[in-house]
Amino acid sequence: MSGLSAPVLAVQDLHREFGGVHAVNGASFTVPPGRITGLIGPNGAGKSTALNIIAGALKPSAGTVSYQGKDVTALPSYRMARRGIIRTFQLSSEFAALTVLENLLVAAPAQRGETLWQAALGKWYWRPQERALVERARQLMARFDMSAKEDEYAGNLSGGQKRLLELMRGLMANPTLLLLDEPMAGVNPSLARRIEQHLADLVGEGLTMLMIEHELAVVERLCDSIVVMAQGRVISEGTMADIRSDQEVLDAYLIG
Amino acid sequence: MSVAWQFYISTVLIYLGVDVMACWGLNLQFGVAGLVNFAFIIFQAAGAYTAAVLTLGPAKPASQGGFQQYLGGAHWPFPLPILAAGLVGGLLAALVSGVTVRRLRSDYEAMVMLVVSLIATSVATNQIGLVNGPNGLALVPKPLATLVGLSPIGYQWLFVGITAAIAVCVYWLVHIVTSSPLGRTLRAVRDNEQAAAALGKNVTGLRMLAFILGGVIAGISGAVLVEFISAWSPGSWLYPETFVYFTAVIVGGAGNNLGVTVGALLVPVAFLEATRFLPQFGPAGLIDALQWIVVGVLALVFLWFWPRGVIPERRRRFPMAAKDEVPVRTGG
Repeated sequence: MSGLSAPVLAVQDLHREFGGVHAVNGASFTVPPGRITGLIGPNGAGKSTALNIIAGALKPSAGTVSYQGKDVTALPSYRMARRGIIRTFQLSSEFAALTVLENLLVAAPAQRGETLWQAALGKWYWRPQERALVERARQLMARFDMSAKEDEYAGNLSGGQKRLLELMRGLMANPTLLLLDEPMAGVNPSLARRIEQHLADLVGEGLTMLMIEHELAVVERLCDSIVVMAQGRVISEGTMADIRSDQEVLDAYLIG
Repeated sequence: MSVAWQFYISTVLIYLGVDVMACWGLNLQFGVAGLVNFAFIIFQAAGAYTAAVLTLGPAKPASQGGFQQYLGGAHWPFPLPILAAGLVGGLLAALVSGVTVRRLRSDYEAMVMLVVSLIATSVATNQIGLVNGPNGLALVPKPLATLVGLSPIGYQWLFVGITAAIAVCVYWLVHIVTSSPLGRTLRAVRDNEQAAAALGKNVTGLRMLAFILGGVIAGISGAVLVEFISAWSPGSWLYPETFVYFTAVIVGGAGNNLGVTVGALLVPVAFLEATRFLPQFGPAGLIDALQWIVVGVLALVFLWFWPRGVIPERRRRFPMAAKDEVPVRTGG
């Protein structure tokens, strides 16, 4: 990461309507590199919609998204992902009939043998790379304490294990920006602490993340920069200390 | 073995070859990529008509003794009509998937496919000049029949060989898809489209690819069938025929090539083809009607009790780095 922290992601005047409801109504914010940016706000503030627009799952009605200095507004999700913007889902999105290891292998970008022509070249063409990916996936599973589940169908995992798989799969995709939609939603406190520790380790390794999270204590521990949304707009940006002193934020949370 | 038995067995083997190929094609679409193609049979029909027309030669007007009308007749030598059938099946699949797979989610897609199937039957039946309407095409010359001086039973066995050779080629195509990273990615798309897209997979392109490959294979299977039975009419490809193949894939085990091979043996061959040789009983048409009922009940029973089929999709395991042969597969 460069010393100059030019933002990795810049969202400018984003709008999105759903049948007359302005879910996102002129939101602008930036995500600096090498940190976790927390995206917080009351229910219905437009956080998930904003994240879906950045990930390419939704098209904005107006506004721009620029990533690493390039305009990426309204690109479809798979093209966002190929640029390194990888997102996780709030509800687990495992490939249920694939094993945990296969879930991870699928995520690897630029795989050999993933097109018909390359598949037709035969095993000798894609197998060496696949072996390397299997090793990488095993290292990830070891790191997340999931090695025992390697051959388990992802659909058979517990809710908490699915959250870990979601995160591992995102990492397997070589993200340059990881978008996390409530990564600890619905998990028990001890697993939530483990996930929090993993995220702290990842940011220590230089990964840039944008995380929607409701638990303010977690946000305070993990996030150096925080974006507060309410009613489709960004009402405050800064550190937790800045935000705590912002009357508009307090009002939004009290009313919201 | 008596000649009658040889005819019986060779005929069943050829039907088996056709049905196995079709089931592999449908499995690629439905079992692997999760595409609910309720119009599968029209791609087989498109291949059959293509091969028939390209074997029959140019249509003669009625004044010159021509008794069937169709577009674009030619005398292409074997195996070109079969290859062309695969091409036409694929092109039709590209056209249909360009509209449906691109735009619709699976349940709507299934409905649209059913409608497409009905429209296609209606067009082929009523547009007489296209493929001779309700009477269909007949007297399609058999491939290589004039080249080799074989006895009728010798020719039957030659055709078994031709069918087997084509089936091997089709299996190769299916195998390279299902055994490669491409197959894994298609299964991921099947399990969760949004998540696959969020990992950089071009979901629309992948689904269309599976659909087109299935269309190619369906077309080839239809071509082999028409070259064998020498005739093809709208009655051969009514929409319920699609459900026979779906039942075969579900019974055998969606997502498993060996499973659907067994399914093709159990459902279309054992229930539909082989029973044609059994003595009739009850009022005329009773056996035909019972076959449909049996197929329908079979699909329901399996979906209820054994949704993964006789031979379920395999669980792919990968050995540790020290060992060499990857990936070892065991039943899951």
